Amino acid sequence: MHPPDTQAHCFAEDSPGFGNGSLIDENSGKGTVALETITLTINDKVINCPSGISILQAARREGIKIPTLCDHPALESVGACRLCLVEDKGGRLMASCVTPASEGQVLKTDSPRVLAHRKNIVRLLLAEHPESCLVCNKGNRCDLRAIAASLGIGETNLYPMPHARTMEQANPFLVRDLTKCVLCGKCIRADHELVVVGAIDYNRRGFLSRPETVHERPLEESTCAFCGTCVSICPTGALSVKNAHFVGTPEKEKSSVCGFCGVGCSLVLGSAAGRIVEVNPADEPSTVNGPTLCLRGHFAHDYLHSENRLTTPRVRKNGELEDISWNDAVSRVAERLLEIREKHGPQSIGFLGSSKCTNEENYLFQKMARAVFRTNNLDTSGMAPARAVLEEIKGLKRGRRSTAPLKDLEKTDLLFVMGVDPSHSSPVLAYHLKRASRKGIPLVVVDPREIELARFATCRLQVRPATDALLLNGIAALLREGVNGRRYGDGTTSLRGFAEHEKQLASLDLNEVCRLSGVGEEALERTAKLLRGKRPIFVVGRGVFHQKACRDTMKALSNLSLLTGDTGSGRSWLYAPTYENNEAGAWDMGVSPDTLPGGKPLGAKAFRSHWERAWDVMLSPDPGLNVIRMIREAEKGNLKALYVMGENPVRALPQPEYVTRALENLEFLVVQDILDNETSRVADVILPGAAFSEKMGSFTNMEGRIQRFEAAVPPPGQSKPDLEIINLLLKEMGQASLGGSVDKLRKEIAKLIPEYGDLPSSAGEAWVREAESEGTDPQEEPLFFPIPELKSPEHDDAFPFTVILRSFRAHLGSGTRTSRSERVEEKGWRGEVEMSARDCESLGIRDGDRIRVVSPHGAVEREVKIETGLSSGLVVVPRAFGDNDAMNLFPFKERKESNFTGWITCPARVERRAR
Amino acid sequence: MHEQSKEFELTAEEAAALDEIAGALGRFGQERGNLIPILQMVQERLSYLPPRAIELVASHLGMAPCEVYGVATFYNQFRFHPPGRYRIKVCLGTACHVKGGDIILENFERKLGIRDGETTPDREFSIERVACVGCCALAPVTVINETVHGHTAPSKVEGLLLGFQIERERKEREDKKHADGESQDH
Ligand code: SF4
Ligand code: SF4
Ligand code: SF4
Ligand code: FES
Ligand code: FES
Repeated sequence: MHPPDTQAHCFAEDSPGFGNGSLIDENSGKGTVALETITLTINDKVINCPSGISILQAARREGIKIPTLCDHPALESVGACRLCLVEDKGGRLMASCVTPASEGQVLKTDSPRVLAHRKNIVRLLLAEHPESCLVCNKGNRCDLRAIAASLGIGETNLYPMPHARTMEQANPFLVRDLTKCVLCGKCIRADHELVVVGAIDYNRRGFLSRPETVHERPLEESTCAFCGTCVSICPTGALSVKNAHFVGTPEKEKSSVCGFCGVGCSLVLGSAAGRIVEVNPADEPSTVNGPTLCLRGHFAHDYLHSENRLTTPRVRKNGELEDISWNDAVSRVAERLLEIREKHGPQSIGFLGSSKCTNEENYLFQKMARAVFRTNNLDTSGMAPARAVLEEIKGLKRGRRSTAPLKDLEKTDLLFVMGVDPSHSSPVLAYHLKRASRKGIPLVVVDPREIELARFATCRLQVRPATDALLLNGIAALLREGVNGRRYGDGTTSLRGFAEHEKQLASLDLNEVCRLSGVGEEALERTAKLLRGKRPIFVVGRGVFHQKACRDTMKALSNLSLLTGDTGSGRSWLYAPTYENNEAGAWDMGVSPDTLPGGKPLGAKAFRSHWERAWDVMLSPDPGLNVIRMIREAEKGNLKALYVMGENPVRALPQPEYVTRALENLEFLVVQDILDNETSRVADVILPGAAFSEKMGSFTNMEGRIQRFEAAVPPPGQSKPDLEIINLLLKEMGQASLGGSVDKLRKEIAKLIPEYGDLPSSAGEAWVREAESEGTDPQEEPLFFPIPELKSPEHDDAFPFTVILRSFRAHLGSGTRTSRSERVEEKGWRGEVEMSARDCESLGIRDGDRIRVVSPHGAVEREVKIETGLSSGLVVVPRAFGDNDAMNLFPFKERKESNFTGWITCPARVERRAR
Repeated sequence: MHEQSKEFELTAEEAAALDEIAGALGRFGQERGNLIPILQMVQERLSYLPPRAIELVASHLGMAPCEVYGVATFYNQFRFHPPGRYRIKVCLGTACHVKGGDIILENFERKLGIRDGETTPDREFSIERVACVGCCALAPVTVINETVHGHTAPSKVEGLLLGFQIERERKEREDKKHADGESQDH
């Protein structure tokens, strides 16, 4: 056993965070609260506006245009560029973005003096600017060029004196050509206020000043996360996207939704000649991401045009995959599947739907499985999503679904973040949490690793893996001591199980809790003190849900939340981020072996009959196999056919070799996907699908926001939107009436799943609706769960270390798509394994050495990186690298089986390879 | 200007001073307002602000290192290179400027292959520009360590550097002599 590294840190409540960006009020855009209405005159028009807003905002509300370079609605105004000049009655010129609108002002935005000054400012900017518009990457998106043109400035008639700087383009993501910088400072404010990284700031002064990294180092040597937010917000060509295959401006732009993580950022896809050449945030205030994106969203979508795209249907003949026509492919699939069903029964066929495909596609896919093949063998190949865990726990109803904008996180009393490293897995969620902390909302971060978010934490609890539940119970015990004699509200004390829970807490051995969890008593007390009198929102990720003991942890969390008085059902106390773009949607559409569309239990006859009536078929009441069982049955020879749509189980599941063997053992494997991958390589038929940018559909994000989108470019080669493929199949099987167009399916979904009632409406935002209460189920009343006994985590001397899987910001999931991104590949991140300095020293390992991490089930070999701040005894292995070989370490087991170790940590030993 | 400052390896004394600085930071509160006094304290002890010091200060104040760097580079008083053994200060005050001080500066820069504000990698020479040093009659003026050199002309720049070179070589020979214990000369 390794000696505990007690690394719990608590900072003063006003712990310093860098930057002083006060944050944005969502309604006004700026930090002020509207008080009263005032009246002023702009360009002879009398207008009313709330006091406290700037003249620029007042003008914009009325549709009066004032040119700006340094202002952005989501950023603090600084008045750097002076383009937004207006003149008042007394002839005073002022920058409208930083001058408050006030009662009785009479202003002109385009008086001769204003125009003359504005022109001069632009002339001076241009005199300092290189003449390279024709070859500038920013092209038509450049604000400076547009403003100069609108003011009729061609020649400046000034002596040109550009301040030449070397262009930085060593990294594969963005080009910094600071010669073109106009010092508007938007990139700096975006970096500090929006994504809260702090990689760049003004250096020096006057002409020499530039937004620079510390010591003017290249970006990759700074803390820059390559989120590209500064690139999109830069009004000139100083910051632009690096494109290997394309120079210039996109011909077309189309709004869309990011196809990677569960945040579901709103995008604008720029295309030229049928290819996506640029991705920018949609930059609308109502979207989840505003003007921000992350590395993946911004730069990794180049995988869409990878050479590995599947573009023709293929079939295996004499062991080799050969191209065939769509007609032949479709009739072959229909024929073989029906034949196998006929011969071996409905349980012999399985269907893997996709957490990446659209709601409409997933709905039709499971409808085909259930209505045509009469099987419930339906799943995705992701590890069980949070919802699956939560559904299992009776009494957790109030936490099962969080439908609220991420923005609301900035409105709560306290944020309690556990088992999630959003800076890598869902960056925009991290931006919101960091901003909330900078706004002064206390933040508790519980994680065995020192994640980026921990730097912003008021209290940081570096808990040992697998001891979360007891840590939470420890906090609850301290919370129990109450403040000033007053403890809980009536709502809490009258709940089921309260008295027993109190008793259990009273007898909890706190020293033992501290010893086992590795968290100091002082830190525990500070956390309890912080929680007192507040109603936290718990943000809980797969670091909890993929643990073996996740149910205990969730129960402890629920108890803790009830103790804080959060007994109502109104606001959600729990926020469980989804990790894939449509993980939530796939679940809601019923791609699950034991739940029907809408998340209703298959076992309940009432729900089954709802769908039986709707589809006019009889449904099988037998729960289907989940993905783990399907693969296992395939290996045993009981499952004969599998239809995989948009998933790569070989790469995503534990024990890839076993999975491959199982798939090879199938009589018939259909893979419908966009990229050639580990699974498609063993398919009998490949059906080339279309990526999100090439089709119409909708995704549901972690907020419960249903986002519709349309195709931006046509699918490459002969590939087709997945919905069209399923429709072709249904037609071939004589079941065309089950399918239909996206519009038809949206209407059907909205009618049959009340939560999705907003899906078909064409305008406005669509949200998953809260389900109407289905009567009061006494089983579902909130209650205090009993606390399990204190147990030391298991320990095996042969495997003294604990592996923790982590995410890395460039990759998503198992990395099937992101590893096909040319830019990500070019950057050459190697996915080093992280270990503590102490462990490395005792094993004689040096930074950069190759090591082998061996678990009871397999091994990975990587370079090692010494990580200060990591507790000893831990070995951190990033997902998605090296064909996602991290999954070798885990047994092929599911949650309900004995010997299941979870999908996030496992025991291991470490061996040094020869230097 | 220097596009990217090379990182100088810290000398043993500097490393020790840095440790002391880390301890001394505790005396300053964590408000951002303390940034300038802290930077001045660091520069007083180290004569310049090495990257590691900037990181220390940034983490003490909870700022991003680039913010600290941005503020420090705003002021002329802060240096980012260690002073050389020969600290060359070229005057660019009004009189010296009129008399072509910038040509002298350029000469030093070209000869030594470094820019103003920088130090040669062997830490022998550093160049800085200064404002009037108070002997305008001698313009253009260069101050090297404590010695004032008046009426500096490009030819004089060459002469000065040559002189240092000769002096250094002589010193090296002598050191060697001392080390070897006996004369190698004939
Ligand atoms: S890419 Fe993102 S992290 Fe990097 S400097 Fe720009 S805004 Fe900051
Ligand atoms: S790089 Fe762009 S965004 Fe940043 S200050 Fe310069 S012009 Fe503005
Ligand atoms: S990967 Fe997630 S956070 Fe990044 S742009 Fe896409 S949706 Fe947004
Ligand atoms: S927009 Fe007002 S000063 Fe730049
Ligand atoms: S200006 Fe150089 S000494 Fe006065």
